[in-house]
Amino acid sequence: MILTPKIFARLVAIVVLGVLFQLSFFSQVWVFGVSPDLLPVLVISLGLLGGTMTGAVTGFSVGFLLACLLVEPLGGASLVLLATGYLAGLFRERFEIHSSLVPPLLCMGLTVFAELGFGAVELMLGIDTAISGLVVRDILLKGVYAFLLGWPLYLGLRRLLRPALVEEQVVRRTRRPTVLGA
Amino acid sequence: MYRKQVRRRRAVLALLIVGSFVLLTITYGQGSNGVQRGVSAIFSPIQAVADGALKPARDLVNWFDQTFDARGRNSRLQDELRTAREEAVGAGAALAENAQLRKLLELDRSGAIPSGYEPVTGRVIARSPTVWFSDVTIDAGSGDGIRVDDPVVNGDGLVGTVSAVTGGSAQVTLIADHSSAVSAKVVPVAVQGVIRPNVGDPSDLILDFIDSTKHVHKGQAVVTAGWRSQEIESRFPPNIPIGEVTRASIVVQEASQQVHVRPYADLRDLDLVQVLAGGSRG
Repeated sequence: MILTPKIFARLVAIVVLGVLFQLSFFSQVWVFGVSPDLLPVLVISLGLLGGTMTGAVTGFSVGFLLACLLVEPLGGASLVLLATGYLAGLFRERFEIHSSLVPPLLCMGLTVFAELGFGAVELMLGIDTAISGLVVRDILLKGVYAFLLGWPLYLGLRRLLRPALVEEQVVRRTRRPTVLGA
Repeated sequence: MYRKQVRRRRAVLALLIVGSFVLLTITYGQGSNGVQRGVSAIFSPIQAVADGALKPARDLVNWFDQTFDARGRNSRLQDELRTAREEAVGAGAALAENAQLRKLLELDRSGAIPSGYEPVTGRVIARSPTVWFSDVTIDAGSGDGIRVDDPVVNGDGLVGTVSAVTGGSAQVTLIADHSSAVSAKVVPVAVQGVIRPNVGDPSDLILDFIDSTKHVHKGQAVVTAGWRSQEIESRFPPNIPIGEVTRASIVVQEASQQVHVRPYADLRDLDLVQVLAGGSRG
């Protein structure tokens, strides 16, 4: 990703608006008893567009802002989203994205990874109470919602950050040579 | 050039990972810190505006979810209504008796009935996105007289406690959060225990550590115990409704001293809550 001041400002705006939208909207709506989680999808999409560093830094920033606004312990969400963004970026750097299904599928898989990561951090810090089996349903449904959200979000972000994307430079289509006598 | 770039990338990544661990170590188990208070103070007004603007859209999405849910609830609620009607007649007499008994025992003078609490109404403006944390942010804070550990209720019953405050907002840790524990009692049998969450299922709480010799039955109400000793007292005033017993197997009660409780308050769908501010706590 070619990072100019304008692109940096856009990234900051995307992170801030994403966190606010999550807290004020997605966290408070329930679809089949589970609220969608936009933030891993946002971080994964940015990782897929910008690579490992973009994914890791935006993941850390999103987690940090989230923990600040919810007055939760700092660092836990940052660590999980950092890893999620890094993995998405690693995929982008190692493989070509040939199909339009790849970003939403990756969003689904890595969102499940992120939700498991949130759980792992909490378990590591100590949960001294019962854990319902519904946690599994919650994680799986969040993965499905990530698939549905990932598609439009990835396309929207790609459009928004197009000037900064290395492989998105406009390739001038050359005119097909005219074959005389054909 | 390329190797230098790779080295720089690795350094940034290592810095972020170490930074995360350091932040986690420093801030875990503490309330709000200066950074969080500052960020929260900046974003609280924006969140309040965003919350108000997005409410119609939220209500629309939740309407679909609630419609599906309502189909299942309808028959159960009809049964409950029938039972409630039968009980309502008896409850009127019980209320009158209760008032007389309170007068007799002079509970007001002993301080068991909460006095001096000032309810502060707040609207939920943000909610944690993960299932592991059950906390919400409300648009009232220390400027409104709210302090850490103040109990929070809504029209149905107990919701949680204030776990951190800033000038214009407060974080409420719900009773479904893994860190929550509320001393409670079952009425009318007066069996005491501790309400613990069942992480991942906000409609199911566990009343733990109950006296296994006294049996609790399905449908009985659970309220805050509100104990007090000479030096300390519970952060919750007594007799705030928490929920009703939904599963109370005798075998489970005797083996693990637990019963399951459904909270009266819908912890997933909180909008307006009241913080009981100004109470005296030891």
